[in-house]
Amino acid sequence: MDRRSVLRLAFAGGVALPALALTGCATGGGGSETNTGGGAAGEKSEKNPFGMADSGTVEAVIFNGGYGFDYVTFAADVAKKNHSGVTFDVKPSTQIAQELQPRFVGGNPPDLIDNSGANQIGLTTIAEQLEDLSDVFEAKNLEGTTIKDTLYPGVEAPGTLNGKLVAINYVQTVYALWYSGSLFEQNGWTVPKTWDEAIALGAQAKSKGKFLFLWGKEAATYYQTLAIASAIKEGGDEVRLALENLEEKCWSNPAVQGVFKAMETVIKNGYVKPGGGGTQFTAAQAQWSNGQEALLYPSGSWIENEMKDQTKDGFKMMGAPEFTLTGNSKMPYEALHAAAGEPFIVPSKSKNPAGGKELLRVMLSKEAATNFAKTKLAPTIVKDTVPADGFGSTALQSQSKMLSDAGDNVFTWKFVDNYGMNQDMLVPWNAFLSGQIDAARLTTQLQGITDKVRNDPQVKKEKVS
Amino acid sequence: MSANRLVFILVTLGLPFAFYTLFVLWPFAQAFIYSLTNWSGFSPNFEFVGLSNYTALLQNATFLKAVRNNLLMAVVIPIVTIALALALATMVTVGGSSTGAVRGLSRSSFYRIVSFFPYTIPAIVIGLVWAQMFDPSSGLINGLLTAVGLDQFRSFAWLGEVSTAMPATMFVIIWGFVGFYMVLFIAAIKGIPAELYDAARVDGAGRLRMTFMVTIPMVRDTIQTAYVYLGILALDAFVYMAALNPSGGPQNSTLTMTQDLFNTAFKKGQFGMASAMGVVLAVMTLLFAAIVFVVIRAIKGKDNR
Repeated sequence: MDRRSVLRLAFAGGVALPALALTGCATGGGGSETNTGGGAAGEKSEKNPFGMADSGTVEAVIFNGGYGFDYVTFAADVAKKNHSGVTFDVKPSTQIAQELQPRFVGGNPPDLIDNSGANQIGLTTIAEQLEDLSDVFEAKNLEGTTIKDTLYPGVEAPGTLNGKLVAINYVQTVYALWYSGSLFEQNGWTVPKTWDEAIALGAQAKSKGKFLFLWGKEAATYYQTLAIASAIKEGGDEVRLALENLEEKCWSNPAVQGVFKAMETVIKNGYVKPGGGGTQFTAAQAQWSNGQEALLYPSGSWIENEMKDQTKDGFKMMGAPEFTLTGNSKMPYEALHAAAGEPFIVPSKSKNPAGGKELLRVMLSKEAATNFAKTKLAPTIVKDTVPADGFGSTALQSQSKMLSDAGDNVFTWKFVDNYGMNQDMLVPWNAFLSGQIDAARLTTQLQGITDKVRNDPQVKKEKVS
Repeated sequence: MSANRLVFILVTLGLPFAFYTLFVLWPFAQAFIYSLTNWSGFSPNFEFVGLSNYTALLQNATFLKAVRNNLLMAVVIPIVTIALALALATMVTVGGSSTGAVRGLSRSSFYRIVSFFPYTIPAIVIGLVWAQMFDPSSGLINGLLTAVGLDQFRSFAWLGEVSTAMPATMFVIIWGFVGFYMVLFIAAIKGIPAELYDAARVDGAGRLRMTFMVTIPMVRDTIQTAYVYLGILALDAFVYMAALNPSGGPQNSTLTMTQDLFNTAFKKGQFGMASAMGVVLAVMTLLFAAIVFVVIRAIKGKDNR
């Protein structure tokens, strides 16, 4: 080989290998870092429960998604009134993991992070590097009430990992089936309560040239969320725990299988709008909220805010609890899949963790929480911030009603997010919804994904009971 | 060695080499080291786990699927792109009237600009535009197909069906690159002495025969370069995939190694495993380039050297 082709090869190598360089970003620098966090401490008092220094900076990186980030800026402005010497720096991001990964390694992460969105950091990966936030719940809010007394029940569950409160999930999210109140009224339809009723409604929809459901490719797993919720209502806690603990054959539980079979019927009967596997999810959602091509859409309560600009006039968006499988399910129909979303975390190694907690405390106070509910049309985990008229939003009204109807029958699960499984699960769900695979293959593939995580020694497991 | 000469060597060779070492070779070495660890990517601590990441990769059905997808693309995309680009280049340079001097079709400069146009669009824009074109309900393609009465394409998900997702994706990439390689081949063909074509024509060769007997042998080096570059592009393809099918396509039929690497690193927090994927990709790319060189050398036979 002559010199020229050696050079050519070397050059080709340089072009060929950027993918390697992507993973080769350094851990260097992190090792010698002596920053143990804390920074300069101020005096702890009722008005400054975490001892934040009265000068310096608080840096917050906020996921800029459906809720934007201005609500944190609002809280920062409120906090600024009490701590005029402190600079609050609130930055938006849509790539939390990519942007913050080097900073976690380097030992200088920001003081407060909204670890949310498609590029969130798997919580189990960084749990050890996070502050225990239970002192935020124990602290008094700006109005002088202990924060934990002002919250909905069970809000600490999603952020608790092996007994440590590593994240405070700020926004109360209700998972439901959303529909157009006006469309249902015009056609005299009632919202189905079981899967059999849903299949019957599908037939009626078809006669009007509409579909029962539709989906978008990035959001195919919304149907998994619906299926799991239905199965848990039907079979009770045993279904939830089997999934949470990634047990063998957890997807073969009769309740789960019953729901999958019902879904298979819905799909086979042509009640699902075809083509979702090639449709961007917000475009698909607009076909529901603007085009009214499908009757029901399973989603979290962020849907109203997300589709605000693409919802038909007079749509009257309402939510209904997820179906049960049969009339005699273990949990009542009113039982609700609700969980707080938008996990806020405070890294221990940040320069000013006390500042991060202080900003969270302000966010959990009445003024900031009410501002959020009003501008985002969604309640935070702070109770009693939504008036009876739901700021004029039918979706918010029905959300409040669902929460009060459910009472203590509120449940959620974390295994999909905790172990970062959503990406893998999208694959069988897209295939199932488009009719490429049946319920049996769906079960096998989901079980395969679950088994892989269970058997991977590199993945730290959380025991749920 | 005079001081001048030493300075010259240091500046022209030493400095680039230092940069190359720091920004290219060192990251490679680092990536290889990480691939032997269980580093999560978010902490400064990790343990060495030997080659277990690599053995795990060999049993990872998703990753192996991605490898097969990449290999398929590395074979199909360069062949189709080069064949089309070469055909177009021949048309606009030597495919014209068979009387008088050898020349291309009339208005060839117009065709040249039109076919080069897609290359001026950034890859991500190409991806996004075509993702809209392929949209099942409101996309232009299904709109046209249903307008001419092909009703089976109503709501047909080009990027959502296993049978069409990969061909549709490859089509987009080829569409974006044909123009550039056409221009590359035009330059190469213009470098061929016109006498060769004249002589061939005197000997009674038609256009097809001239292409196979004159053009292709004379631009073989360019074809080789084009093949290597297109192959490397096909082994990466991350940008197009991120726009067309960010989640890997139906049944992972368009998942690429780079996408799997990205998910493993950032979504699953397994940077050690992701580094191992990067190393596998790098080795495959180098092997690919080597194979192309060897094959072309074999075809060349004795002539030239």
